[in-house]
Amino acid sequence: MKVDVGLAHHLEQVKDSVVAAEAAGYDGLRVAEMNHDPFMPLLLAAEHSEKIELATSIAVAFARSPMILANLGHDLNAYSKGRFTLGLGSQIKPHVTKRFSMQWGAPAAQMKELVLAMRAIWANWYEGDPLEFVGKYYRHTLMTPAFTPENKSYGAPKVVLAAVGPKMTEVAGEVADGMIIHPFSTLPFINNVTLPAIERGLAASGRSREDFELSYGNFVVTGRTEEEFAASKKATLERIAFYGSTPAYKGVLDSIGVGELQGELNAMSKQGRWKEMGTLITDDILAEFAVVGEPGDIAPEMLKRYGKIIDRTSASFPVSDDDQRASIIAALRAG
Amino acid sequence: MKVDGGIDFDLSKAGTQAKELEEMGYSGILTAETSHDPFFPLVVASQHTERVDLMTSIAVAFARSPMTLANIGHDLNAASKGRFILGLGSQIKPHISKRFSMPWSSPAARMREFILAMRAIWANWHSGEPLEFVGKFYTHSLMTPMFTPTNKEFGAPRVFLAAVGPMMTEVAGEVADGVLIHAFTTEKYLRETTLPALERGFAKSGKSRSDFEITYPVFVVTGQTEEQMALSRQLVMKQIAFYGSTPAYKPVLDSVGAGELQGELNTLSKQGRWDDMGTLIDDSLLNKFAVVAEPRALAGQLQARYGDLVDRTSAAYSNIAKEDQMAIVKELTG
Repeated sequence: MKVDVGLAHHLEQVKDSVVAAEAAGYDGLRVAEMNHDPFMPLLLAAEHSEKIELATSIAVAFARSPMILANLGHDLNAYSKGRFTLGLGSQIKPHVTKRFSMQWGAPAAQMKELVLAMRAIWANWYEGDPLEFVGKYYRHTLMTPAFTPENKSYGAPKVVLAAVGPKMTEVAGEVADGMIIHPFSTLPFINNVTLPAIERGLAASGRSREDFELSYGNFVVTGRTEEEFAASKKATLERIAFYGSTPAYKGVLDSIGVGELQGELNAMSKQGRWKEMGTLITDDILAEFAVVGEPGDIAPEMLKRYGKIIDRTSASFPVSDDDQRASIIAALRAG
Repeated sequence: MKVDGGIDFDLSKAGTQAKELEEMGYSGILTAETSHDPFFPLVVASQHTERVDLMTSIAVAFARSPMTLANIGHDLNAASKGRFILGLGSQIKPHISKRFSMPWSSPAARMREFILAMRAIWANWHSGEPLEFVGKFYTHSLMTPMFTPTNKEFGAPRVFLAAVGPMMTEVAGEVADGVLIHAFTTEKYLRETTLPALERGFAKSGKSRSDFEITYPVFVVTGQTEEQMALSRQLVMKQIAFYGSTPAYKPVLDSVGAGELQGELNTLSKQGRWDDMGTLIDDSLLNKFAVVAEPRALAGQLQARYGDLVDRTSAAYSNIAKEDQMAIVKELTG
């Protein structure tokens, strides 16, 4: 499987970050949209690299017009000579409406339309198809030569969606080139909810699994020393508890028969008892979400569990030794 | 007077082009938004230059959320160590609603709110003020530490606004740090319509003229030889005729008593007679819109006409020798 790593957000750090990632043997760089624009670091990453793949993971789709995204996607894919993947996620309603002041409808339906709108724009630019996209959420019916990019050699970027629930997952299968599975997932959830939904989407668009790239960054608990291991475990328990408190993710806890935890974690989160929440996650629950073991066990266990399911991983490996990390990456890439 | 130069959209050349303009003495680098993202070339330019301002001229404001533009503005200003100027324009209704699929209404009022929304976001990020912006067109009331930039050293970029009509011009005076004057203007329109509108805006926000930059890319007819001068003259006449055919710009023609031309030009444009249109612009009208001079006299004439009024200009001097371009830039900026 391919292995991806996060890229620095601050633009002055990008060059060093890219050089380090290429030297460490990673296949791809990804940028999450938090407190900075997610596209600019990838532009500089493209300037300073030749081979590594570049992706947003994710950019907030509904914060932008499909036209703006189509343009950003075109420019980044052209400049990187076809190495860009536009990874999109919906975010949640309060962030889209109250942070970005943008519209929020039925998220799966809106996302489907947004991706199809971009594809209509790209078909206009690259194939000369008329632009007559009239949807429920988006309308794009005006394009002139002055606004049409002229550098068409690399065409449109790949588009992948982040999804948790079955509706958004099905949309990914239907209209995207791939999907990013949320780190807060279990193998039963992936097998019983995610994969069947993707298959339904692929069937709807007449495609097969080979046309589709699945990415997943499972949690990893490891360390070179007892201390490193303990710190890694504690941090992971807290993250699982944090995600587990979210009502929308109860289905994931249900997949391993601990759905009742969601209410408990949610109540504690409202009391600000963040540190305590981690103690509700037992070792059995941890093992469902995370690959736990000595550094040398991580790659074999990840390959055994997920090797036949996913195409690329964005897991991070909390070991302090660069060589040890490099050997994990190499083993995953070979597997 | 500062002088800005444009770079094109080829990202593989943006760095070298920007560096060359900086070495030639230009004050700033400009990009426009047509068929590409307008910020990317400036991101590249920020890494290859040290001194020049980096400015969009313009980016389409209403195609975006104030939040994404606040973020882009913050990041580009940080990356360029305070050299970014976010130049915004409204575009026109069909492009906003049918090309970008974004809302359009009362453009001057909406633009005012757009800029104030960005300023509220920056005040939250840079000074910790609560984000409670609830306007008629935009609402920004949610921000958490996770989404707040931490590199605050260079703060918010300057914001310039493109304006033609008096309402948008007044908004520029009130809430922006500078105005981007349309190339299709006359000295008379500038002094009698634009400037009073800016002054009304300054008065509203208690700003003085010295806090503000007026940017005007004056049409220039020039050339090293008679042939080049003639070609340059013909091109500028065609551009003037093209803009003059636009109903919204009739007041600019009115300012020099040539308002009746607008209808005539508009009719010709609908018949596709673009070449004929230029011939309607006579020398006297050309001189109202353009500075006509050979390279050595150009800077002096620009200064004489606009030195007291305009803080920065830009022009395509690309048909004259590099040394002459540099001499013009030096004389204007000196």
